Amino acid sequence: MKWLAWVVAAGVLIGLAIMPFFVSNYIVTFAIQIFMWIALAESWNLISGFTGYVSFGHVAFFGTGAYTTAILVSQAGWHWFPASMMGSITAAALALIIGYPCLRLKGPYFAIAMLGLNEVLRALVSYFENFTGGGNGITLTPIQSIQPLYYAMGGVALAVVFLTYCIITSRFGLRLISIREDELAAEAMGINTAALKLYAFLLSAAFPGIVGGFFAWYSSHIEPIGTFPLLTTITMIIMCLFGGKGTVLGPVLGASLLSIFQEMVWARFLFIHQAIFGALIVAVVLLMPKGMLGVLQERYRLPRTI
Amino acid sequence: MPIQITGTMLLQGIVSGLLAGGLYAMVALGMALIFGVMRVINIAHGTLLMLGAYTTFWLFSLYGINPFLSLLISFPLIFLVGILLQRFFVYRVVGAPELSSLLLTFGISTFISNMAMVAWTADYRSVEFLTGSFLLGQIALSKPRLVTFGFALAITWLAFLFLNLTKTGKAIRATSQQRDLAQVCGINVRRIDLITFGLAAGLAGAGGSLISVMFSVFPEMGQLYVFKSFLVIVLGGAGNYPGAFFGGLILGLAEGLASLFLSAQLSEVIAYILLVIILLVRPTGLFRGRV
Amino acid sequence: MLDNFILELRDVTKRFGGVTAVNRCSLRLAPGKIYGLIGPNGSGKTTLFNCITGLEVREEGEIRFRGERIDGLRPHQVTRRGIGRTFQVIRIFPELTALENLLVVTWSPFDGALRRARELLELVTLDRLQDEYAGNLSYGQQKLLEFARILMTDPDLILLDEPAAGVNRTLLNELLQAIRNLRSQGKTVFIVEHDMKVIMDLSEKIFVLNYGENIAEGPPEVIQADERVIEAYFGR
Repeated sequence: MKWLAWVVAAGVLIGLAIMPFFVSNYIVTFAIQIFMWIALAESWNLISGFTGYVSFGHVAFFGTGAYTTAILVSQAGWHWFPASMMGSITAAALALIIGYPCLRLKGPYFAIAMLGLNEVLRALVSYFENFTGGGNGITLTPIQSIQPLYYAMGGVALAVVFLTYCIITSRFGLRLISIREDELAAEAMGINTAALKLYAFLLSAAFPGIVGGFFAWYSSHIEPIGTFPLLTTITMIIMCLFGGKGTVLGPVLGASLLSIFQEMVWARFLFIHQAIFGALIVAVVLLMPKGMLGVLQERYRLPRTI
Repeated sequence: MPIQITGTMLLQGIVSGLLAGGLYAMVALGMALIFGVMRVINIAHGTLLMLGAYTTFWLFSLYGINPFLSLLISFPLIFLVGILLQRFFVYRVVGAPELSSLLLTFGISTFISNMAMVAWTADYRSVEFLTGSFLLGQIALSKPRLVTFGFALAITWLAFLFLNLTKTGKAIRATSQQRDLAQVCGINVRRIDLITFGLAAGLAGAGGSLISVMFSVFPEMGQLYVFKSFLVIVLGGAGNYPGAFFGGLILGLAEGLASLFLSAQLSEVIAYILLVIILLVRPTGLFRGRV
Repeated sequence: MLDNFILELRDVTKRFGGVTAVNRCSLRLAPGKIYGLIGPNGSGKTTLFNCITGLEVREEGEIRFRGERIDGLRPHQVTRRGIGRTFQVIRIFPELTALENLLVVTWSPFDGALRRARELLELVTLDRLQDEYAGNLSYGQQKLLEFARILMTDPDLILLDEPAAGVNRTLLNELLQAIRNLRSQGKTVFIVEHDMKVIMDLSEKIFVLNYGENIAEGPPEVIQADERVIEAYFGR
């Protein structure tokens, strides 16, 4: 049975790889969006799905990556790809600085601290105008062709999903889950919970950093309000939750389905699409907190590693 | 940024800061109550504030009702909204992990804000009722700020009377300290949750009404106060309601002083660093609270 | 002389606000014996265990393990040095399988760890449940699993917090036999227990705590007759 799953996966990947040559630009662009959300939702899953620490300001890493990349490209003439890689490094550095003190906080307080992180970064970005263009943001040269971006974004999404699979099948993953189950007992059993939480946090921040860089390059213009919105964090959380947090493919499922849903809603209900999203959030939280894969796992005793 | 800060400017900064602080205290008290009693982080608090502000705005522009008089309408109205929200949605996440309450209240907040925008547009509105300032020696006391501070203080004082002297108020405090024990003692915690949320909503709505006299009214106006309320709760300590009051004043004071010495934006950064430091060093707050 | 003791506590004090849970407690454990810790409810026994394992930080006093100070270390560091403990309320990881609960606590290479885990599960007769989620096991089975889990890291000092609580007769005998086996392997066992019969049977030496103070110590027969102990439990 397992080899069948791998064959299907390989088929899907090959299909995605050759897709840009056969479909319209609109679909390619839409696919890039889905890849981006997969990477974001899966990253959030790494810290919050596994360890249970709710990172409520995760978009901070996305924004950090975006600004790092934009600054390097516009002021130092870097190529967008290495600049985005630098974005992941600055994002991870931020995670280290914030995570080291904040991961010691208990549940609700960690969430509050992460929520505030967003606001602060937005303020900082506005303040250091020389670097960041302040409220006006940074403008880059418009992107020529989107095919390289398609493969880049797809590659990152694939990398996060694969990393998640590796983690969940390793003892590192088991230890992260034990932190979620009973952190005190884990600590008492010899597990260095502080270090493990930090590693997971760093990993979960690096990918949004890269993705933020790609986003900056794609949009050609970034500014504080568009780069650090709480809505982005909530979206990646809901996508992960909808698919099933703590699983490997849950965020993929959630990101894909909700992206399609959002695209349809935006086109038809321009003025109230936010209200619809708000209602969706309420529905997911109240009606399916375990997510689609979570429900399936319980009903049909599916393995943890799906 | 001025190079020399005179004693007058310092005093001015302190006074304006305190005046703002009184408002923060009142709004944050509501949030502290919800967190203390139900362990729910209410992101929709800002939306409730906004609803109060719009209530006052419309009563003023359509019927010319005195904004301060409109408190008599906005408080009960938003109180009711709070009760409805609790009765149909929030009760489901009481005591649940923080992710559930954060997402639920965010969803509610987004929905209501969007609806407000559809109904009333995103235009900035204002309530032109009080302008000008009193002069106390060399200090200018802005009239709107002074009067709203007075009302905020009065309403907060009434709230504390309620919490300390009435049977329901004491039940609220008991539930917030030890929920299980309160239940065993015969307190109907579901009812307490309803009343608490309603009360908190009323306080937020009243805050919005008072804010409308000083600042612009628009659908997203409440967001700013949500984060500030978190800060106040952390400063005061969860479950410590007088602490929340003083926390609000301290926040206002710190902001007032910070904007004197630094730019307004950096003061937000300072506030955040303050938040993290306090959470790490004294998670029970500056005063005696519960973790 | 200090080297002969595997665990040594000197004037350990722990306060919670106005309450002094542990009050200048001193005791010494020689290796390879079974020790008991008894006292009325609230006398500070679990707090003392928490101080030893690092879950609480004592305010005053020293705690030495094999001559080396361990007070102030983080819990996982204390465990790595060779101390294992169980809890009053069972704390296994419900969403990990029985096998995974054991694998999670060791850092030895995977194959060796897997073998050892399977051996231990066989020892506590849980081998056929190795792939069952620990949360689905019965209370007794979880208790055995918790016991097997501390053995995974092969500690030299084992702290057991009320091992007999809620356990039926048959299981209890198995547990007691397992504890005696540990002693014959040279390990030191320190047990907190309320079941007097169990503790008097097992222990070679018993410490008595009352209001956080070490009020008596000695072999079971002596403790049973000690007036201070009787007074502590029953009042004058």
